Amino acid sequence: MRALSLLLLVLALVGNTQADESGYLDVGVVVFDPGIPEDESTHSALEIFPRIREAEAQYLPVTLRRELVDSGEWGVVRVVPEAGPLSELTVEARMLESSGIRQRIQFTVRDATGRLWLSSQYALEFSDTAITASGIEEPYRNMYQQVAADLLSFRRGLDARSLSEIRQVALMRYAYSLSPEAFADYLATDATGRYQLQRLPAQGDSMIERVKRIRNQEYLFIDNVDEQYGELHDDMASTYRLWLQYDREQSLYSEDYEVRAASRDKQGPRGSFSAMQQSYNAYRNFRIQEQDLDELALGFNNELEPTIVETSGRVFRLTGTLDSQYTEWRGILREIFAIETGFPVNSSATKNFSDPHE
Amino acid sequence: MFITQTLRLACCLLPVMALIACSSTEAPLPRERTSAAVDFSGAWEVDFSQSENIRDSFDALLRELQRQVERQNRGMKQGGGSLSVNANSGASLYALARMAEVVTEPQLLNISQSMTDVTVKREGSFALDCEFHPGQLDRRDSPLGRELCGWDDHQLVFQLYLPDGLSVYHRMTLDPGGDRLHIATTLRSDQVSWPFNVDRVYRRYDPNSGGIRCKQTLSKGKVCTTERAPR
Repeated sequence: MRALSLLLLVLALVGNTQADESGYLDVGVVVFDPGIPEDESTHSALEIFPRIREAEAQYLPVTLRRELVDSGEWGVVRVVPEAGPLSELTVEARMLESSGIRQRIQFTVRDATGRLWLSSQYALEFSDTAITASGIEEPYRNMYQQVAADLLSFRRGLDARSLSEIRQVALMRYAYSLSPEAFADYLATDATGRYQLQRLPAQGDSMIERVKRIRNQEYLFIDNVDEQYGELHDDMASTYRLWLQYDREQSLYSEDYEVRAASRDKQGPRGSFSAMQQSYNAYRNFRIQEQDLDELALGFNNELEPTIVETSGRVFRLTGTLDSQYTEWRGILREIFAIETGFPVNSSATKNFSDPHE
Repeated sequence: MFITQTLRLACCLLPVMALIACSSTEAPLPRERTSAAVDFSGAWEVDFSQSENIRDSFDALLRELQRQVERQNRGMKQGGGSLSVNANSGASLYALARMAEVVTEPQLLNISQSMTDVTVKREGSFALDCEFHPGQLDRRDSPLGRELCGWDDHQLVFQLYLPDGLSVYHRMTLDPGGDRLHIATTLRSDQVSWPFNVDRVYRRYDPNSGGIRCKQTLSKGKVCTTERAPR
């Protein structure tokens, strides 16, 4: 595990260097918003199984991440538990619909300057070609490929200067998150709310070098978090695809059965046992079919709950550790800055440049 | 089987019942309560010693109908009004009794309940499930039938309306000690003036008493273990 972490750190540093040199951007794919309405009474009508949605919200970002990585057009792509100042490009998504029939997701992508790259709903019907003799493939893969393609298309529309600016703003926002007092003057927002660089630190600025070192440490943590999501994805994959397949079969059968049963010829005169039995059995079979899906959802939860809980625990421990180290680093950095510049440690910053949504 | 034995009796009474006409009393709809009044959770099995059987219910209904006919005959002789005739009511009542046998067939129940919903799983049939909505009944519509459910004070009521005039009404009551569950089931047909009632009593049982615990999984189906449940 330690060796793996070390390797990840090296890869993160190498990746970071490559990104700096090539113009590629580092991407943070935030764990999806599962889009579960608070009002539980609506879940049945919307055909939402909350625990499955929550699992999907952790699974699907990895699907997108892998599409981005496979394209070879990006820097380091990570799945992160929440949006933060670390990423040069942040992908957020809200699940609107996800079943064995179709998937519909709202994607919002912004770069570190606050430029909106994409804010669109993507939807795709389940592709029967996903069902093969050996099992079921990712049925909505094309949708994630489309998102990746649209992001690439947008990025290609930006010149080298814009890309460089994104990386520089990302770094200064990160620096600001560590020491608002020291870095508040480097950034400003324009009338549209976008971040603009006011000035750049001098070459070899010791404070920025420290910030970069701390950022690399944070990458190490986040890569571990990302690794957890990747493992969860692999552990979930076969069960999740099976769930989609069953969900699809049940939904199609139910729709079909409802139509057939409602239009079936009556077996006896009204009020006769045959007629009543036919009508009761039709309803009973229809409901059993519907409820089989609940059973399958329960089976999904029973099978994956331990893995999901374990992953959540690990991610929480990592991010918890990160938070406490982050506070410590921030304190140290402020003290160093105060010593080096004589700047007061408690100067107040009015703008939160580190907030990804500000 | 009760069905074949009672067929003769029902047929004998057909002409009598054809004369019966009485106003059909609609089952009251559950009132609109918002939260769980009683917790029915647990595994339940039929207590046959305390439950009605269909034959008894059928016999009781026939006796009641006979009394009704006699009362009405006396009333007519004394100058009362005329009776409307429904030639199918005898056969339909018998059909209703047979349907009651089908509907009340499940002998094991597994009930899970939260503050927001309840699911009554019935062995060999569909589960009755109900979500508790603030200020309104839970309603489920489909071309094959309509379900309504909700609380009526401390009782949980499920009503199913099927096409062709059949409705099924379950009223669940927990006894004060919490170890007996009463389910009064009423079937109505628009071809019969009288509802058919069957009362079933269930007692708690431990589904894990055999030392085997099972859970449903998606890829492996039902997985069972003899290990004790974690506390």
